[in-house]
Amino acid sequence: MPIVKIDGVEMEVPAGITVLQACELAGIEIPRFCYHERLSIAGNCRMCLVEIKPGPPKPQASCALPVADKQEIFTQTPMVQKARKGVMEFLLINHPLDCPICDQGGECDLQDQAMGYGFDRSRFHENKRAVPDKELGPLVKTSMNRCIHCTRCIRFATEVAGVEELGATGRGESMEVTTYVEHALSTELAGNLVDLCPVGALTSKPYAFEARSWELSKTESVDVMDALGSNIRIDTRGAQVMRVLPRLNDEVNEEWISDKTRHAIDGLRHQRLDRPYVRRSGKLVEATWDEAFGAIEAKLKGLDGAKVAAIVGDQCDAESMVALKDLMAALGSPNVDCRQDGAKLEAGARGGYIFNAGVHGIDSADAILLIGSDPRRESPVLNARLRKRHLSGHCVIATIGPVADLTYPAERLGAGPASLRDLADGKLGFFEKLKTAKHPLIVVGMGALARADGGAVLALARELAEKVNAVRADWNGFAILHTAAARVAGLDLGLVPGEGGRDVEGILDSCEKREIELVYLLAADEIDTTRLGKAFVIYQGHHGDAGAHRADVILPGAAYTEKPGIYVNTEGRVQVGQRAGYPPGEARQDWAVLRALSERLGKTLPYDTLEQVRARLVEVNSSFALLDRQAAGTWGQFGKRGAVSDSPFVSPIANFYMTCPISRASQTMAECTASRRQLMAAE
Amino acid sequence: MTADLIHFFTTNWLGQGIVIFAQCLAVTVPLLIAVAYMTYVDRKVWAAIQLRRGPNVVGPFGLLQPMADGLKLVLKETIIPSSANSVLFVIAPMITFMTALVAWAVVPFDDGWVIADINVGILYLFAISSLGVYGIIIAGWASNSKYAFLGALRSAAQMVSYEVSIGFVLITVLLCVGSLNLSDVVESQRGWFWRWYFLPLLPMFVIFFVSALAETNRTPFDLPMSEAELVAGFHTEYSAMTFGLFFLGEYANMILLSALGAVLFLGGWLSPIPYAPFTLIPGVVWFALKIAFLLFVFSWTKGTLPRYRYDQLMRLGWKVFLPVSLGWVVLTAAVLQFGGWLPKS
Amino acid sequence: MASLDRTARAFLLTELISGFALTLKYMFKPKVTVNYPHEKGPLSPRFRGEHVLRRYPNGEERCIACKLCEAICPAQAITIEAEPRDDGSRRTTRYDIDMTKCIYCGFCQEACPVDAIVEGPNFEFSTETREELMYNKDKLLANGDRWESLIAANLHADAAYR
Repeated sequence: MPIVKIDGVEMEVPAGITVLQACELAGIEIPRFCYHERLSIAGNCRMCLVEIKPGPPKPQASCALPVADKQEIFTQTPMVQKARKGVMEFLLINHPLDCPICDQGGECDLQDQAMGYGFDRSRFHENKRAVPDKELGPLVKTSMNRCIHCTRCIRFATEVAGVEELGATGRGESMEVTTYVEHALSTELAGNLVDLCPVGALTSKPYAFEARSWELSKTESVDVMDALGSNIRIDTRGAQVMRVLPRLNDEVNEEWISDKTRHAIDGLRHQRLDRPYVRRSGKLVEATWDEAFGAIEAKLKGLDGAKVAAIVGDQCDAESMVALKDLMAALGSPNVDCRQDGAKLEAGARGGYIFNAGVHGIDSADAILLIGSDPRRESPVLNARLRKRHLSGHCVIATIGPVADLTYPAERLGAGPASLRDLADGKLGFFEKLKTAKHPLIVVGMGALARADGGAVLALARELAEKVNAVRADWNGFAILHTAAARVAGLDLGLVPGEGGRDVEGILDSCEKREIELVYLLAADEIDTTRLGKAFVIYQGHHGDAGAHRADVILPGAAYTEKPGIYVNTEGRVQVGQRAGYPPGEARQDWAVLRALSERLGKTLPYDTLEQVRARLVEVNSSFALLDRQAAGTWGQFGKRGAVSDSPFVSPIANFYMTCPISRASQTMAECTASRRQLMAAE
Repeated sequence: MTADLIHFFTTNWLGQGIVIFAQCLAVTVPLLIAVAYMTYVDRKVWAAIQLRRGPNVVGPFGLLQPMADGLKLVLKETIIPSSANSVLFVIAPMITFMTALVAWAVVPFDDGWVIADINVGILYLFAISSLGVYGIIIAGWASNSKYAFLGALRSAAQMVSYEVSIGFVLITVLLCVGSLNLSDVVESQRGWFWRWYFLPLLPMFVIFFVSALAETNRTPFDLPMSEAELVAGFHTEYSAMTFGLFFLGEYANMILLSALGAVLFLGGWLSPIPYAPFTLIPGVVWFALKIAFLLFVFSWTKGTLPRYRYDQLMRLGWKVFLPVSLGWVVLTAAVLQFGGWLPKS
Repeated sequence: MASLDRTARAFLLTELISGFALTLKYMFKPKVTVNYPHEKGPLSPRFRGEHVLRRYPNGEERCIACKLCEAICPAQAITIEAEPRDDGSRRTTRYDIDMTKCIYCGFCQEACPVDAIVEGPNFEFSTETREELMYNKDKLLANGDRWESLIAANLHADAAYR
């Protein structure tokens, strides 16, 4: 470990890091524009200049200089100050003075550092350069005059997003960041470009001019748009969610989030259920909570528990799920299911339904098999992690399933279960690669499980995992990649059919046969509502989507930004989201609605506060006690050996931008869908 | 016919009543108008001293301002505090107002122009003006408010203190006059203006004027209703016309004491120069001018002096005015006795 | 001797007399007050009165919705909402000033990079209801049109000292 002296303080730093990182370890902030922890080093902004001894008698870029033993680093000398001021003056030569109309204003690196190193007037009397703005799709607004050529965006698109669509043309003053041929970016991570841009050259288009950073109140929360459970920060002004930003969590999403996570929030403003409704003579009419509960009470009176069913949606918090579970138990109904898409997962052994290796486990995997999964659409941030693994080398990736552009090369072994069978039998060459790998990772997607033979496919995948020794004491490479944020919590809480109960398919069948007379949809919109037959449908949720249209009683609930909630991501990591605002109108937190309904029905649930509900969660499954960490999944019995069909795996997500009631209500997501469709057509 | 009318108005009880009523009106109406314009003059004088303009919006030169103020007071709601003794609360301003008016019965406006030319005029005046303090004490007590009560207590103490010296001042004048009849007081000053008592009895005149300020609760002796400490003192709780009556009574009292001052020291209705053409000017005009001058000094004083502290007020009354006026009584009596100037009776 | 002098002065009321003489003298001095509604005192070009939103000579509103005035306002009297206008420029959709909250500190006009929000020379804008003092963008722009010539002159007069 080299010993360096930073500003006169001697310290030992890890070998191989850069001078800038060493200074950061010493607690000294080095100004920078182009350097970014998660991108390659470019060294082109020259803002991070420091003085080094021994070395040439001129300042050096600290971001690109490795530390060496007995190095002396000076960060505050007059030479450094002068150099930085000079760099800043050069940067400002062509930077427009339009901070007041720039959305980056208030959170702009250049603005902040100009306060420290800027000069109060320009000595440059020629005209500033003018660069035409680029069209980068519906999410990223450009103002290329402001660009300082740090190339962070280019590096992000190339390295992380895996779309080599951004680049620089020209040199010197005529350098421009561009897409060469003007077209929208074809990545699901475009929003991160806005976060990366240290100036206002790339800003958020849907958020354009809407708010200033200082007016927003910030709430830490968890994303529910996919099962990754990205850590997010929700910025609100008043009651309105203005934007969503990523929160740093190296174990889950690093510092990226997908465009759906970031931009579907305008869906929270439209199509909201803000008051209860009751269907009277075929039409939904506005009602009070009392009337809505009254209608449910009247329907439930004397109804056998077996004729009651409940389906849980994909974005529910654990609190409302446990409340529903307890209510159904009190009503004597075994017909509860949280697997809307019909995935053949079992609630028993936790190892059978979570991403055992953990998202950070991808970093150490050296042979990866994706079964029936298109991670780019199912979880773009996780896909970026896979790409990062690919880029770091010594890793082979193969897929069995749909043809997809994953942004990294992957050997396609086949389309359906037959190929998996072959692989498990060792008939394919990849079997050996998996077997010889130190950390083989087998990712099973919903495309492989949400089908009639899903149970058999699951058993097959398990067989393969055990054969290649992917499940060991020190490594569990069996990973389920969910698409629903609520799924793991639902399985943890046992929201699956009880003794003699029916699953989603069974419930819909029974509805058609009129064996089930009342269905409780807890924000469940992804089922075929036409099959609900003549059943009395209660819909509790936040958006007027499929479920609400079919409902006989609508109970308005809260969206994920409007309630404190616990979510369990695909890894089985329990994460808490805080409330960023209040639900509109008369809508209430979901567990509280269920609690109130239970009291009306004479089956009062035994909790009155959020703390008590969370205590109940821990009572049902002790893994809820472990926050923000992944509890190891038990490896038990799961999967049903049996015949598999020949039909190929199909990704459950046809359109990445619209997968839930919120994103379907979002104008921005509609624009993204149209833009992507246009892009596909052009190709 | 004429004889019949004279007979009717001089002997018939009804006729005499009508005459007295007419006399009262003839005194009261100009007096109230004078009170109204006294407020206007007050404000104008203060404004002038402070380099301001004073009321100048209502009417020409603001001359209708008193009417506007009066109208406002009449139209406002009379508020009687719930914890106040409502009967006494309402009676108190009436007492103040009435005592200020009835005193005018004995004031001679000109030779023979007096409603009741009684021989104990000065005693009557003295008695009536002492009664005025009852209105204030009752008001302060009936308001059931600490400010009002404190104001009333101060007022009572102040009146008692300064009436003593006023009494001695009157005695001095009476010693010189030899009569308690106010017309006689005036007549005894006939001649050039230096024969008026203000010059020979100058210290007494000063004491009289200062005591008059204290009697009427004017600055610098306005402690009973000092805004700064007692929030308007005894009339804190009063509004509208009940307040208006206090206001009118206060100003009527000021005019009364000015009139008394004019009678005692400035030769009443007499002309300063006892020759034509000055003697041709009606005596009532001279009298009015003298009152006006004293009233102006009232306003001038208020515009000049700050408020006394309470202990200073008491010290001045008891330790300065009382010994000085007492000494002056003795001195005057001695001079009259040994100088052979005792008035013949 | 001094005590005698003092006593004599006290008895002769010299202090009182000099005081009265002074006030009498003042009574005849010219008045300093201004007969307000009919005549008005002079106003500094920096006078901070009623707010206005200004326009450019071509009629384009100056405000670019940077929200600096909203941020600096110590009384939090300003509320701004913005969105891109059809031509893509940054404009306010709402610009409200609660004049009952405003403390007329002038920070808003200091913060404004385009001299859009200015506290004009008008101080006679009392109203009968509070509601009328909740100014919106239309009212402020109308104010701007009304006072523009005076404000422009004031800004010009003060420009040398900024």
